[in-house]
Amino acid sequence: MRKRDTIVAVVVGLSVVVLAGCSSSSTATSTTATAAGRQALVGTFRLTAGTSTASGATGTYFRMIQPNGTLASGPYFDNPDSTATDKSYTLQVPGTAGGLVTDRFQPNPSPAFDASGNALAGAIVAPTPFSAIAFGISTDATDPQTGKSVPAPSISFENGKITGQLESWTASWNKLYFNQGSPKPDGTSPGLTSPVSGTYDSATHAFVITWASEIVGGPFNGFTGYWHLQGTFAPGN
Amino acid sequence: MIKARPPMTSTTFVPESGAAARTGGLPVPVATVAAGRRRRWPMIVAAVLGAALVTMPLAFGMFSKTPKGAVMLSEFHPFMTTARLDGFQTDIRQIDAAVKENKTSITQQFASAGVTRADLDTRFPSLASLDAQWPTINSDMTDLLNKVQGNLGNYQAIDALPSFRLFPWFFAVPGVLILGSAVVALRRLRLWRPGRWAIAIVGIGLVIAPAAFQMFQRAPDGGRMMSSFKTIETTGSVVKIQDYFATMASGQGDLRLGVVPALEEGGLSGSQVAERFPAVTTLDRNWVRILNDLTPMIGAMSDNVPNYRAIASLPPFPLFPWFFVMPGLLAIGASLLARDRTEQSYNQQQGES
Repeated sequence: MRKRDTIVAVVVGLSVVVLAGCSSSSTATSTTATAAGRQALVGTFRLTAGTSTASGATGTYFRMIQPNGTLASGPYFDNPDSTATDKSYTLQVPGTAGGLVTDRFQPNPSPAFDASGNALAGAIVAPTPFSAIAFGISTDATDPQTGKSVPAPSISFENGKITGQLESWTASWNKLYFNQGSPKPDGTSPGLTSPVSGTYDSATHAFVITWASEIVGGPFNGFTGYWHLQGTFAPGN
Repeated sequence: MIKARPPMTSTTFVPESGAAARTGGLPVPVATVAAGRRRRWPMIVAAVLGAALVTMPLAFGMFSKTPKGAVMLSEFHPFMTTARLDGFQTDIRQIDAAVKENKTSITQQFASAGVTRADLDTRFPSLASLDAQWPTINSDMTDLLNKVQGNLGNYQAIDALPSFRLFPWFFAVPGVLILGSAVVALRRLRLWRPGRWAIAIVGIGLVIAPAAFQMFQRAPDGGRMMSSFKTIETTGSVVKIQDYFATMASGQGDLRLGVVPALEEGGLSGSQVAERFPAVTTLDRNWVRILNDLTPMIGAMSDNVPNYRAIASLPPFPLFPWFFVMPGLLAIGASLLARDRTEQSYNQQQGES
């Protein structure tokens, strides 16, 4: 009898611990803390505009690597409209929302383009000229290139290291869409696609997020976009 | 004069038939006679033929490949018009004219101000790269466009055929009908004659279909298009075109954002630049439209490399009409050979009398 009481007590005790853990975890999600110490960053990643430097660029910028190239040494697609000294860097300016918002989408407007094919999506970054036509960035619940449902952006950090997923990150240009997320909408990471990574300073909220995403399909099939977002995180939506 | 045939039901007797005579005058059921006088092998051949027709699309992977062909034809559709293809040729000619103008009159303009060609190449490296590569780009792009334009008629011929998605069913459905009719006829003798007729009708349909769809003319046209696109619809070719596109875009950017402003800084007004350098001005004015034109075409080329491969791995297009005609003739032949001998001799006797 005593043995059975002991077993019951242990089971009940474990159940309480597990339930408490679940409760704690679910609370943590909404308050950005997880049981394992990883913290979700829910809010706006306010972007710092890209600027040209002697070694390339800093702040928020984009580069496009040509097929069969490498992230480190290209060859890169030179954007003649870039304001950077090195035309392989396309410098970007924060959009109307100030930057990337996590846990919800910042979709393309309708229409997404003007008559010339200039993108009109301007919430995350301002539409940026790329070979005479402006490109925009959006995060849509349905990826406009593949038609697949994708989750809203999510970013978290642990010990100052950022991880996350930006499957819904889409570039629009010349009446075309290019998924530039990582991982891709089907969960894969083809070619030079690399995971979302970076750094986050919880004291200053300063962040740097980088990833690469190979373009699958369309006129730039096999090209890879390299994204560098930099700025300050503002919690809360 | 209408000649009555002996009824073919198993409950009817033919007292004066040859079979009855051989049984000593006793009446013999017609079905029994027929069963003994029917050639089974043509019906078995028909069954095998039906099975082959059903198997063929599976063996060639047509159910997965032909829809890709349909996608390819559909995605090429917006570009395969005379107006659109002429437009691409005009785009390339405009770039060609601007590149040449830059090398000649614009270079002379800068030279008059003491700026050498080497200086320009250093200052506008993307334009220098375009200059250097342009003969190759121009030749390859023109060749590509000529090939595509030369196949416009072939494309239109193949596009006028029924959807590629239907092609496996054009074999599978007649195959099932022939196979089913043959099996039923072999198993139920009273359905022998309807079975024969069904096989004959399907056979006639198979023979007529290629003519009705003008496949004898269109399929070879399609074959010619596939042969011409063999060197275009490859990953290597697409990557090369993408590379050319990047070179053209960057070089044009140097013209638009570097050379023209430099000319203006050198003392020329906008209207003077337009007047003296019309080719560069035209290219700048039309550049966005050229991008609107060329980019989707490169996208269609790129996206359809796997679709082209799928279709190219099918048997050659010119054979396709014969894939209908030959089984059709075999089905008709099997149907004729499976005729009831009683029926034949009866008809013969009626003919002699």
